[in-house]
Amino acid sequence: MTHPLEELREVALAEIAVAPDEETIEAARVRYLGRTGSISAWGERMKSLPKEEKPIVGKLLNEVRGAVTLAIEERGAKLRAAQEASALADLDISLPGTPNEIGALHPLTQMLDRAIAIFRRMGFALAEGPDVEDEWHCFDALNTPPDHPARAEQDTFYLPDGHLLRTHTSTVQIRTMESAPPPIRVIAPGAAFRRDEVDATHSAQFHQIEGLYVDERVSVADLKGTLEFFFHELFGPGTEVRFRPHYFPFTEPSFEIDVKSKALKSGEKWIEVCGCGMVHPAVFEEVNRARRDAAYDPEKWTGYAFGLGMDRLAMILFDISDIRLFAQNDLRFLKQFAA
Amino acid sequence: MKFSLNWLREFVELPNDAGQLAELLTFAGVETEQIEQRGADFENVVVAQIKSSEQHPNADRLSVCIVEDGSGETRQIVCGAKNYKVDDKVPLARPGAVLADNLKIKASKLRGVESQGMLCSAKELGLAEDAAGLLILSPEARIGAPIGELFPNDTILDVEITPNRSDLLSHYGLAREIAALTRKPLRGLQMAEPATGAGASVQISAPNECPFYSARRIENVTVDSSPAWLRAKLEAVGIRPINVVVDIANFVMLEIGQPLHVFDGDKLRGGINVRLALPNERMLALDGRSYKFRGDELLVADLEGAVGIAGVMGGEESGVTPATRNVLLESAYFLPRSVRRTARNLNLPSDASYRFERGVDPAMVLRASQHAAQLIAELAGGTPARETIVAGTLPAPPPGFSLRYARCDELVGTRVEPAEADRILEGFGLQKLGGTNEQSTWRIPSYRTDLRREVDLIEEIVRVFGINRIPSADRSRFTPVSTADRRYDFEMELRNKLVARGFSEVRTSVLIGRDSLGKEFVPTAVELRNPLSEDHVALRPSLLPGLLAVLERNVRAGAKSIRLFEIGRVFLPPTGEETRGLALLLCGEAMSRPHWRDRNVRRLDLYDLKGALAALGLGDVALRRVESAQFSLGIEVSLNEKRLGIAGQLLSMQSRANGPVFVAEMDLPNEIGISQGTPKFHELQRFPSVSRDIALIAPEELSHAEILAVIKGAREALLAAVELFDLFSGEGAENIGAGRKSLAYSLTYQDKNRTLTSEDVSAAHARVRERLKSELGVELRE
Repeated sequence: MTHPLEELREVALAEIAVAPDEETIEAARVRYLGRTGSISAWGERMKSLPKEEKPIVGKLLNEVRGAVTLAIEERGAKLRAAQEASALADLDISLPGTPNEIGALHPLTQMLDRAIAIFRRMGFALAEGPDVEDEWHCFDALNTPPDHPARAEQDTFYLPDGHLLRTHTSTVQIRTMESAPPPIRVIAPGAAFRRDEVDATHSAQFHQIEGLYVDERVSVADLKGTLEFFFHELFGPGTEVRFRPHYFPFTEPSFEIDVKSKALKSGEKWIEVCGCGMVHPAVFEEVNRARRDAAYDPEKWTGYAFGLGMDRLAMILFDISDIRLFAQNDLRFLKQFAA
Repeated sequence: MKFSLNWLREFVELPNDAGQLAELLTFAGVETEQIEQRGADFENVVVAQIKSSEQHPNADRLSVCIVEDGSGETRQIVCGAKNYKVDDKVPLARPGAVLADNLKIKASKLRGVESQGMLCSAKELGLAEDAAGLLILSPEARIGAPIGELFPNDTILDVEITPNRSDLLSHYGLAREIAALTRKPLRGLQMAEPATGAGASVQISAPNECPFYSARRIENVTVDSSPAWLRAKLEAVGIRPINVVVDIANFVMLEIGQPLHVFDGDKLRGGINVRLALPNERMLALDGRSYKFRGDELLVADLEGAVGIAGVMGGEESGVTPATRNVLLESAYFLPRSVRRTARNLNLPSDASYRFERGVDPAMVLRASQHAAQLIAELAGGTPARETIVAGTLPAPPPGFSLRYARCDELVGTRVEPAEADRILEGFGLQKLGGTNEQSTWRIPSYRTDLRREVDLIEEIVRVFGINRIPSADRSRFTPVSTADRRYDFEMELRNKLVARGFSEVRTSVLIGRDSLGKEFVPTAVELRNPLSEDHVALRPSLLPGLLAVLERNVRAGAKSIRLFEIGRVFLPPTGEETRGLALLLCGEAMSRPHWRDRNVRRLDLYDLKGALAALGLGDVALRRVESAQFSLGIEVSLNEKRLGIAGQLLSMQSRANGPVFVAEMDLPNEIGISQGTPKFHELQRFPSVSRDIALIAPEELSHAEILAVIKGAREALLAAVELFDLFSGEGAENIGAGRKSLAYSLTYQDKNRTLTSEDVSAAHARVRERLKSELGVELRE
């Protein structure tokens, strides 16, 4: 036989479960749990019960009170939630969100930043040098004396005082070695200039990252590993990297690097992306002369150097067809590279 | 340089596939830029001779030719070209021939006249991109000969020879390299050295520029056009045939790399003297132009004057013509430095100077002369003098030096067995003079002037050893942060802050155009001595001309909301001293497109510029109004009492934008970015703050800064913050009155040691209100 309290519980729970609004729930709470509520009344009634029944009924009373209280709270929470949700039911979430005018970093900056980040992970520090240079830093110190066939004065912009605009960032190799003894491990992003007709792939000003590592026993193997890693990081692990022997006056042996990647638009084509090589001992000797010491003893120190064309890399990476777009700075172009 | 595979095959066996050869060369450092098929080996196309030519009866532009094609019968051909004469030999395509571009030839009637085939142009035979008229063949061409005999199939490689490898600037030289790389035998040159003798007829007055000169007289030559094989060889590699004597000189140069020159011997007065030019001396060269010399150019002269620019180009007056009977054949060693200087002074590069500048093979100078003399005897019927007259001495072969195998391994990064290293060097013609397991000594062949020290030998070894066999190492080194690192990070931080505020970064060239010079932001600039175009003539002293040009481009492109910045180098006149700067530009609407929540389109204004400057976080940037010719509102920007730059609203005439333009340009000296310290934590306030507002009406000319100074007072200890939250004035402002504005401030009071009582706050607030009334006389609103 069920105790009346249990019946009371069933009635109360059934009523609460279907309560349509918070007022009804509040009314129910007063009716059952209020000071004179029908459940609370059992508190008084307890006193008149026989001693042996008291603990049993007391426990039951606590259970019933707890269950009804919980039901009221839950039903109330559910009703309040439903009410809040219904207030928002008609909100059109397809409306455009609050705009934030965000700009864009120039794609060349983004390209440089990606490349710099990779080299920094490999322990390279940054270095820099001036755009306006002298002939010694741009040519002579780089094993390209005045009668050298690779010395391209007609492709060089000169200032009236005989200074020139550097034709490559390799000048920073010399600047860095002049100012500090080995070991050296630097990259130097910067502009370079060539007196060349402007077209879709040539501009008077272009951008390079120069790299230089001078240490004991630096080898072609180190150069190869470093640049392979760089291109894999930049273009993805599936990128193929090949080294071709080449000639630069200031490195020996010298190489050009081609890359090929299915991820790029160029697909199956090899694209030339870098010139590099082992620092020519004549460069160390010339630096020593300028330093008036023997800090860069070519018997003790060897090194590698490389130059990356950043405009070209950015064109490859971002599928940009015309180098002139970089200097035009059309916002419709720039905003395509917004983060 | 262009190389004919047929020609190379005369010296060495080649891989069957041209692509394979190109790849082989490319991976040995000789990059192939292009592979081109040549030749006109078409069936049913033969050499024919035009016997007569009549006007076509029904067409003004056509002729009717009778040609003989070796079959014994003549043919009638209708022809549209005009560039031939009767007796010329031309290619005839008989019916059935299929020409370039799949052009099928059949017998047909043209305007009522029968044509039994077609006379061909170079284009129709695939020999040229374009052709005006028929291809006129050499007079010696045999009538009826298949055209393929005159234009054999060939593959032409266009190869980039790096400046160090002058030894590859000839067919023999490249064949020698291929032989070394493929380990195939090289068919040697059968060339003897001629008998030589000294004589008064050759003299060197400039031995520092010309160590050696030889001349050989060849008499009774007949200067006609060259035989077909010679013409074809030259044409295949892009050299225009001229006459048999000149063609032989070019042929020898292309075959073995020694440039030669041939004078008309009867036009020379007295002996040859190789000397420096006299200042202002002049000579008419073979290109038809007259050159004036500075005085340091090397010339070949006779008694009366210059007859050639040594190693660069011959003189017009002493040149070989069809009338020439006796010639003088020059073969010399001119110093690279001298030829380079001369060619550069005169801006006159030539095939000869290209080779002399890079250094020719001393061992070939006399053999080339002998080779050419024999050919002239053979093809032009000349009689060479028994002796070649020489002056000076040829440069000695390069000295030998040693290779340390351990050094090679160290630089390469892997083990190269000494036997393999030796084999590679020997393959290139180097001779091992002796050595041990540790090192070896090598004699360098005369043509490898680029091999001067040990590292050059290591380079040769790497080329053939193959970079694929070298492992990839992942060596690194710890490096401390540099000044350039800090500077880079600082500038990237500025960039990112500006981008987050809607600014787009531009990168303009540091070279500015002629049209910017002398204008507002470029009163002076360091100009280039040798600009190439009017767009790039000077180094920018300011970033603003570039930004304004970008503004203009974007306005034209229809941009409505323009926020730009650039961080880069500027160059201060007169020296071009480099500093780094930052410039901002704002123009147009605050939002680039309309949005449903903000129906009121706000235009960008000075406060957007000021907000951007503040967002840079450079520190306490102070602004002060200044007079400026370019600005309708000019502001000087300074940081810690130091002038940093200028900002403001440009005069409207400064730009074509439809509306006000706001700009700022500042220096970014190293001290700013690099001195920025690490932020330090301040304890959070534990006690609550209380806010009270003040609304006031003030005359228009009273500035916010003045009001703020009074609110803050001298010592208002509890006042933690003041914010202006409302401002209105002007026409829309009701109940204020003309010339006045209404401002509202929110004041926050706080004490870090206790909770403020209402009395504390009221007392402080009352003091602020009292100061505003008494010190500024403003009207406080309740």
